[in-house]
Amino acid sequence: MAVYKRTYKAYAGQLTPSWSRFTVLARYGFSTLFSSRIFTAYTVLCFTPFLVGLGFIYFVHSSTAQLAFGQHLSSIPLINGRWFFGFLVSEAWMGLILTAWAAPGMISKDFANNAVQLYLSRPLSRVEYLVGKVTVLAVLLSFVTWIPMLVLFFLQAELEGHGWLGENWWMAGSIVLAGLMWIALISLLSMALAVWVKWRIAASALMLAFFFVLPGFGEAFSAILRTPWGSLLNFNAVILMIWAQLFRIPLSQRHFTRFGELPSWSPWLSVFAVCAISLWLLHRRLKAREVERG
Amino acid sequence: MPAVIELEDLTLKLGPRTILDRLNGQLSGHCIGLLGPNGSGKSTLINTLLGFYRPAAGRVRIFGQDVQEHRRQLLGQIGYMPETDAFIADMTGVRFVRYMAEISGLPAREAMERAHEAFFYVGLGEARYRKVGTYSLGMKQLAKLAQAVAHGPRLLLLDEPTNGLDPQARTRMLELVREIRDTSEVHVLISSHLLHDIEECCDQVLILKEGHIAAICNLEEERRANLKFLELEVTHENGFLDAIRTLGCECASFGGGRLKIVLPEKIELRQIYQLAAEHTAQIRRMNYRRDSLEDIFLKAMAGTPPPPMPREGANGRL
Repeated sequence: MAVYKRTYKAYAGQLTPSWSRFTVLARYGFSTLFSSRIFTAYTVLCFTPFLVGLGFIYFVHSSTAQLAFGQHLSSIPLINGRWFFGFLVSEAWMGLILTAWAAPGMISKDFANNAVQLYLSRPLSRVEYLVGKVTVLAVLLSFVTWIPMLVLFFLQAELEGHGWLGENWWMAGSIVLAGLMWIALISLLSMALAVWVKWRIAASALMLAFFFVLPGFGEAFSAILRTPWGSLLNFNAVILMIWAQLFRIPLSQRHFTRFGELPSWSPWLSVFAVCAISLWLLHRRLKAREVERG
Repeated sequence: MPAVIELEDLTLKLGPRTILDRLNGQLSGHCIGLLGPNGSGKSTLINTLLGFYRPAAGRVRIFGQDVQEHRRQLLGQIGYMPETDAFIADMTGVRFVRYMAEISGLPAREAMERAHEAFFYVGLGEARYRKVGTYSLGMKQLAKLAQAVAHGPRLLLLDEPTNGLDPQARTRMLELVREIRDTSEVHVLISSHLLHDIEECCDQVLILKEGHIAAICNLEEERRANLKFLELEVTHENGFLDAIRTLGCECASFGGGRLKIVLPEKIELRQIYQLAAEHTAQIRRMNYRRDSLEDIFLKAMAGTPPPPMPREGANGRL
């Protein structure tokens, strides 16, 4: 189909591997997101906690730096599970804003003008479509949550020496698991909300409401009915409880909510339920054609 | 010609409703028209061909392969232009088409090249760097066609391609469809409720009525079979009628010089002119009366042949 001829010609060249089609969605997703300067600037900002953590670990292990700042080692907090827990919390909330910004735009644009049918009329399944979109979020969030944490963890192990890694190896697993759980939760939730409302601003607002408004209802429910189970709707607390378990924070230091009165598996169940409902919503709504039954 | 699309007892239900009911037939035309009134199941059939809906019974084959079993492989060979708006508003036209071509399996470089070519081909070359959301309705239709052809499919499914187009844009769209058809590298299936669109482009027609096949006909054969009907209006007959009969034509006179003639296969129009000249008969009006698609469609809808109507497009005034 040469331009000068302007006649139709079938394509007879090489095709990309069938399995790799979802990467096209991911590639275009990144390209679209980073075409926004504000988004790029915010993504860079998300690395601030990492840089602060890096500086802190250096400070802890550098007597010269401590002397320069007039600090003594005994007055500096220990780098342990509690420290990594706090670090994850700061990274995770920055990641939440990132997701609330990025995810609805990626999905709702396809739904706003019925482009989904164009994707699915090609050799691309619904699962691949979703994987392509989630890949963008997963990679972004990984780079602002568990990957920098692992870097800090191994840096700390290297500088600390004296068997610190042997005593704290479990923390590496906790970092990866806590990060992946958070990524799975907010990715699936944001996708499901975007598919459900099909309107970018509304989807972003719902995403933030899920973490900042729903907890209020949950705690009100608990207070009125005098039951701790309403705390399962407080996803800020749910996530903190899971991370506290993973980072082995003693019960006496967990002051997030009334979770002490609930079984330890209940926050996991809550997260699992949200992921399952999100997947169900995606299964129901992510279709090339809406079918009106009846 | 091997069948492009084969329907074998195809039944499709959405909820309790049966949308397509035991469709059987083979479609092998180069350009296949899918006709039927609104709600007859045209778009649903296209969606089933794309594998969006799973049949309740029966099967569909495209190029001999079952759509459900070889969906992925077949979708790589199909280009689809949906009836409704379908685009990503904040992408430029060429980026949008390139994106779709890459998802179809073209490497990035080839996809870019063909996206540009597709835009020039449909006549939107100058507008290819504008965002699709800013296009007019006609431009959006052409952009949809560009994304459907960019990856070079073997079968092109066009669902109401002239919807909402002004006459000029509609003519352009039909020209493009004919050009694509004539390359012989691609089969085209057009769904429309506009008889003219189908008649302009197609050589085979599937007519649907309430989820059933009302008719499958080969338009080319119909045209050939019915080309020999003539309606004449002459002055100074001077034995012209008898002379025509000597050629072996069936002929009827309705007074006032109005004649209806059925020409045998071997008789050509030129011979009628020669006879008219020989008998100094003046032909004032001549109509090719052929069984138009409208007649075929109405027959299929009603089950009874409609009264003959003159065809405007085939009029010849002398």
